[in-house]
Amino acid sequence: MKFETNTDELSQAVATAARFVERRANLPALSAILLAAENGRLTLRATNLECGVEITVPAKVSADGIAALPATIFAGFLNNARGKVVSGSLVGELFKVETERASAAIKTIPHDDFPVLPRVSAEKSFTAKSSDLSKAIRSVAYCASLSAVKPELQSVLLFGEGGKLTAVATDSFRLAEKTVPLRGGGSTPQLLVPARNAAELMRILDSVGGEAEVYFNENQLSTHVGNVYYTSRIIDAAFPNYRQIVPKTFSTEAVVLREDVSTALKSLSIFADKFSQVSLAIEPAKKSVLLSSRNPDVGEQTSTVRATISGDELTMSFNGRYLADSLQSISGDSVRLHANGPGKPMLIKDAGDESFFYLAMPMNR
Amino acid sequence: MTTTKELWENALVELELTISKPNFNTWFKDTHVVRVEEGTVYLGVPSQFARDWLSTKFHKDILRSLRGLSDTVRTVEYIISRGPKKNVEDARTVPAAPSELPLENVHAKTNLNPRFTLQSFVVGPFNELAHAAAQAVIRKPGSAYNPLLIYGPTGLGKTHLIQAIGNHFRVNAPERKVQYVTSEKFSMDYVSSLQAGKVQSFKEKYRQYDLLIMDDVQFLAKMEKTKEEFFHLFNFLHDSNKQLIFSSDQHPNVIQNLEDRLKSRFSAGMILSVTPPDHESRLAIVRTKASAHNVILPDEVLEYLATAVEGNVRELEGALNLLLIQFELRGSEPLTINDAKMLLRGASNATKKAVSVQEVVRTISAFYGVEEHSIYEKTRRKEVVRPRQMIMFLLREDFKISFPTIGEKLGGRDHTTVIHSCEKIKNDLRSDSVLTSELNQIRLMLK
Repeated sequence: MKFETNTDELSQAVATAARFVERRANLPALSAILLAAENGRLTLRATNLECGVEITVPAKVSADGIAALPATIFAGFLNNARGKVVSGSLVGELFKVETERASAAIKTIPHDDFPVLPRVSAEKSFTAKSSDLSKAIRSVAYCASLSAVKPELQSVLLFGEGGKLTAVATDSFRLAEKTVPLRGGGSTPQLLVPARNAAELMRILDSVGGEAEVYFNENQLSTHVGNVYYTSRIIDAAFPNYRQIVPKTFSTEAVVLREDVSTALKSLSIFADKFSQVSLAIEPAKKSVLLSSRNPDVGEQTSTVRATISGDELTMSFNGRYLADSLQSISGDSVRLHANGPGKPMLIKDAGDESFFYLAMPMNR
Repeated sequence: MTTTKELWENALVELELTISKPNFNTWFKDTHVVRVEEGTVYLGVPSQFARDWLSTKFHKDILRSLRGLSDTVRTVEYIISRGPKKNVEDARTVPAAPSELPLENVHAKTNLNPRFTLQSFVVGPFNELAHAAAQAVIRKPGSAYNPLLIYGPTGLGKTHLIQAIGNHFRVNAPERKVQYVTSEKFSMDYVSSLQAGKVQSFKEKYRQYDLLIMDDVQFLAKMEKTKEEFFHLFNFLHDSNKQLIFSSDQHPNVIQNLEDRLKSRFSAGMILSVTPPDHESRLAIVRTKASAHNVILPDEVLEYLATAVEGNVRELEGALNLLLIQFELRGSEPLTINDAKMLLRGASNATKKAVSVQEVVRTISAFYGVEEHSIYEKTRRKEVVRPRQMIMFLLREDFKISFPTIGEKLGGRDHTTVIHSCEKIKNDLRSDSVLTSELNQIRLMLK
């Protein structure tokens, strides 16, 4: 094996592939990136058996070959490499890599054990703009549960209907839903992508752009964008029927400026107790929302936000972090808060955009 | 079914030797045989990664080892499926919509053990009052019986009942803040808050609950400062109509070192006792517990269990567990009454050290207040007959003395008389709780 290629391109591809590597792998091959040189291009492959990636990089190949390299070491070397061109060659057990000013010999890992990436047939698919799909995932993924007890809550739900793609995630305390337009493949069944894998997909989509056609079957999902092939396991479980818990009518509605609430929450977090409790008093008479937090060991703070309010006066408490999280997915200037009294979930929306909503459960007191 | 499972297990043992350990651990973990049909083994694997890799890389090895173990195997197919166990779990967790799990479950752990529910609580004459009171509290928390105090000896389901009330609210009225503490935990909390100078936050923490359940309040009696704090907490919660539920091993009026002000406050609501279960209830408990483990035991084994293991429900559960583990070990072979007897020899009260017949006679006649020599005489006075029957029963059951020997030692009676006496006492024990407690006391004296 012997090849020459662009340093930046290879470095970027290796950095991407390295994120798919299993850190504490039982099988040494899974901590490696597989490098295959053939037909005038270089193919990089990495997988942790949850999701996998294959990236092609154009290269001048003078001898075909395959090698598996420890991902962290290869990525670390290329990260600091200078110069335009990098060349690589396999000499026995050693992989020699050379840039303008530096050269290294990396011990390879036996590549026989490196698994093949599952391929998904092109029968069922949907298409969306990469930026839209990435935005849908980004708007909800942080709501996914961290606990492995319920795999369906550790995932991002994707489904398509009526020309729109919907992404949903919840950890049962808050829930976010984002809808983006689909380019093709109207109705798509519910696909549960593990949130960690979805985040990787998002990063790939961001770096590649263009359009993404996503293929799926009942076990696996994959997409081919630019020079990257991505595949992820799909979770075989049922997502809770979340639509039934989204309230339709409200006793109190308030419109506030996003920037105001965001700033208030940031400073309130300093005084919040260990549950990040922030209390929210909606006061129609004063045309304002009073936010306050209190920690017996630190002190307390209140913060008033001007608001347009309709409906009843109301006081509720929330985890301040959950409220702040919702604002990062809202790009408009103003935010609408819809509530139905203590103990009932509050709905948060972008005032000018119906494609996103966020549902947060209050704390008791 | 066991054979297909064994087939795969044997194949795995063989494969483990031919394949490197990391490879084996990575690819063969979570594999299982789904079914075998006409020579095709359908192998369940966890993901498409595993399916693709097993079928390309290890197919030959798998097929070879399966064929070596069974001639009928012709091919192997791979299906993506999770283990049978996990699927069952999923079916249960699916309906959980977010609204059922509001925040407070995480922020203020209720400390409740979800295993204790009203559904799994066996109601019998010995605890029906307590159970009814619990139901009333569930219907009208804060107003029906506040506080509710349940007392009784250990192992009779006090904790189960009071936690079940909490669990009911946790599931059906999650907006209520429920907290379960033992009095010991409460006291530790208080002491550590004193040390850290955070008494105020301690007070606030406990005063926010809508339902406070405290186990084993009798321990509070010994702790002066905690008792005082408890008194204030009690007043605060009671005045704001928050439900309080307590358990204790004694009636509060007989707990030593408990101030009158606390005693009278406990008495303000409802004080109920649970007593040891009668024979039918014990049988019902054993049945419920066994079916909770998905195990069906023969009636005679259950009957024996309920009779042989006296004492509290916890001991009964322990003995049942002993049988269940044996049941699991055996697989399909059913447990017989003799197996049960063998197994429970250690657990039941039937093991006793050697005691002379005279000693037993002396103890029991002293217990019933009859002359020792009248036991040996041929009198049939009622006050003598009962102790005599009791002596025979004990000698037979606890000391395993033969019927003829007992008859001979007790004034030369016929062995059929002895048999009759033993049967009589055994039958009476099922319905007569006074007799049961007498028997227990006598056994204690003989230990």
